[in-house]
Amino acid sequence: MNPLLDQFITEGRDILQTIGERLLQLEDTPDDSALMGELFRLVHTLKGNSGLFDLPEMTRVLHAAEDLMDAVRDGRRPFDRPVADRLLEAMDFVLALIDEIGDSAESAPPNTARHANDALELANALRSLLAAAQATTPTATETEPAPSPTPAAIPFESLPSRIQQELAQRLEAGEPLCWLTYEPEEECFFKGEDPFHQVLQLGEPYWRRVSSREDWAPLDELDAYRCILRFEAILNTPAEALHEHFRYIPEQVQIVPLQPPAPSIAPAPSSEPPPDAETAWSFNVVLEAQREILGLTDNPPWLSGRLRAVATTLEAAFASIGQAVDRDALQQALHSADASQSSQPLLHWLDEQQRLGDTQLPAAAPPPTTATAARPEAPEAEEPIKFGRRAEDRLAGHTLKVDQVKIDRLMNLIGEMVVTKNALPYLANRAEEVFGTRELAREIKAQYGIINRIAEEMQDAIMQIRMMPVSFVLQRFPRLVRDTARRLGKEVRLVMEGESTEADKNIIEALADPLVHIVRNSLDHGLESPAERRASGKPSEGRLTISARQESDRVVIEISDDGRGIDPERIRRKAYERGLIGEPELERLTDQEAINLVFAAGFSTAEQVSDLSGRGVGMDVVRNAIACVNGTVELHSQLGQGTRLQLSLPLSMAVTNVMIIESAGQRFGVPMDTVAETVRVARNDIRTIKRRLTTVLRGRLVPLVTLNDLLGLTIEQAPNGDDEFAVLVVRIGPDPLGIIVDDCRETIDIILKPLTGILAGLGGYAGSALLGDGSVLLVLNPRELL
Amino acid sequence: MALAFKKVTVVVSEQMTVEDAEVLLDWLIKHPRGRINLSACTHLHAANLQVLMAARPRISAWPRHAPLAAWIKAALTP
Repeated sequence: MNPLLDQFITEGRDILQTIGERLLQLEDTPDDSALMGELFRLVHTLKGNSGLFDLPEMTRVLHAAEDLMDAVRDGRRPFDRPVADRLLEAMDFVLALIDEIGDSAESAPPNTARHANDALELANALRSLLAAAQATTPTATETEPAPSPTPAAIPFESLPSRIQQELAQRLEAGEPLCWLTYEPEEECFFKGEDPFHQVLQLGEPYWRRVSSREDWAPLDELDAYRCILRFEAILNTPAEALHEHFRYIPEQVQIVPLQPPAPSIAPAPSSEPPPDAETAWSFNVVLEAQREILGLTDNPPWLSGRLRAVATTLEAAFASIGQAVDRDALQQALHSADASQSSQPLLHWLDEQQRLGDTQLPAAAPPPTTATAARPEAPEAEEPIKFGRRAEDRLAGHTLKVDQVKIDRLMNLIGEMVVTKNALPYLANRAEEVFGTRELAREIKAQYGIINRIAEEMQDAIMQIRMMPVSFVLQRFPRLVRDTARRLGKEVRLVMEGESTEADKNIIEALADPLVHIVRNSLDHGLESPAERRASGKPSEGRLTISARQESDRVVIEISDDGRGIDPERIRRKAYERGLIGEPELERLTDQEAINLVFAAGFSTAEQVSDLSGRGVGMDVVRNAIACVNGTVELHSQLGQGTRLQLSLPLSMAVTNVMIIESAGQRFGVPMDTVAETVRVARNDIRTIKRRLTTVLRGRLVPLVTLNDLLGLTIEQAPNGDDEFAVLVVRIGPDPLGIIVDDCRETIDIILKPLTGILAGLGGYAGSALLGDGSVLLVLNPRELL
Repeated sequence: MALAFKKVTVVVSEQMTVEDAEVLLDWLIKHPRGRINLSACTHLHAANLQVLMAARPRISAWPRHAPLAAWIKAALTP
């Protein structure tokens, strides 16, 4: 399964659970707007995520849920039981979908088209709550579309009789014929849809008709881009396949599987077959509409016309169900209505007819269940739609999502374990030296070996939990590179290697922003335009490589391009113009040193500030961000050949290797990654040049400082018995520097804890750690000290 | 461009895109008796179909592509 989908499923389950909780909380406190806001955001996130995949069913339901929540949030609809019920149902449905996707072994989400109808029903149910809310506001009633998508009775009569006969034969022969009506929405052309193409894909229909939903306007007023087409066809295709074909637009199609016409099987004995359920339902709808028209209280000049229309409709409607009406009575009612300019007489007539009719008609016949028989009216009364199991019916998958705090606690505990374990050798020594029991000392040491092994394995296991593949940050680059390159008019091929290299979560996260900066810089400054590249004999398509690999305990990430490279001359000039270097340095800097100037704060070579880069922040930000996680950046560039940036980061931040040093009777730690070497320098070899201590180390002048000076102590550094000083050579910046200390001791692995509380403001320290004998070690940060 | 305009005939080649609908409509307004030759047409966007249905020009040649021709005939001959 692809990682993105995997993440979506894990996250989706999570979000759904939170949504469920919030919904239940909201039921207790329906006025909590903060809770509502959170709920809305959650649903919105989930909807957005689902849009990444080909899951129209899920997106549809979530979209409807989002609309409903938006209304609730704005106070257009109160939050009550029905809303909560519907939303919970919708979330159960989404969860069922997610489970289904999670269960499938394929890399692409499985096809969920068979849920299309459920999705549509749910979405309609959600929206009906919304519509009900709008209906209560008086202004909304007028604009609300007629809420009765009457399932169009199949107009068999409109078919040529030859076709009707053949159709009946085919149906009896058992062919799965379907009647399809497809009415593309008016704006569909603007959504990039081509309804005609959709229809052509269906294959050869048995019968077809293309018509317009309204009369065509005169040509000079015709809006070619407002779709009013209606496609109808009878196809020899199973209904499921048709649903699948139109799964993105189920609300625009009606798919009715055809049954052999009833009369041909059992010819009705009477000339007036009893009205079937479908006709009865349509009939009731028509009657309701007429009643509504008659109920209008306005008095327009065309009232008499309207009355006559109603009368005609009523007559035809009653005739259609085979109910004989007294034509004369109707005409009389019409006359008196016309004369009195009121619709009352007709209403009376209608009431009377219906009283009579109730005895004959299957009153309030249930609507026929066609594929799209969604009835937005009175949904509360309906049995709620159930979608299989509820959330708790199923245990979560194999992935465990744990709060990072818990992992951190584990880390701290194992850290303390490592420290405590380190106390055992001390104990063994004491047993031997103080109590003189060598036997016991040996046993303690043996036990220590075992505990040591287990502790190390445990530490490793906990580190593994925090490990993440580099692909977590790399996966965004294909898109970023593509979009940026397109905007800049460049052709770029992105090559990514070693995406599965793993490193600690914090490291990976810290990597994200610098990488974006670097890649943008490469695209903007490094790679040339296709024309420029061809002129210099390169392929017009530039190549940008991002590779990650592990080198002992560090992750190395290399970003290289085959662009124009960095011109040291230009960098020197720019740096001088910006006052970053003085005139003497202008001459003295080597090319590599000049190139490294791009890391200086406020440096930018771009002549114009573009929206991509060139504001003079960038490379220095990159270097600082990488330095924050103890990483280093190296830049190599060959003019005309390309640029290569190498980021080297620790695999994990949890364990720090430090060297213990002594000064002024105290022990301090110094991170090993800053220590280049330790040397002993005799007092005689230390010279004072311009009041600064220096010494010559392998033919090179190294400035010296004393640690006591740096720490603000007035005590002299103590030499050893041979009058030699211990010097810690550190490499900060390009040149080495010697720090004189009293003594250098062993190196150990510690769990570095940053200084917190009152101590947090102390400069010069990276943090503290607990030693095996229980004492506290302060770890220096040479960068800050100097 | 899928449309080639002759004196009284438009010859459609291959695909008629959504943009062509407007051009076709303009031409049909200016040439009320214009004719359309669809023989080389393999597909036309639904917007074009609408224009044809509204304008009902004479089709001097139906598409050679049979499924397309069948649908267009169904649309233009009620």
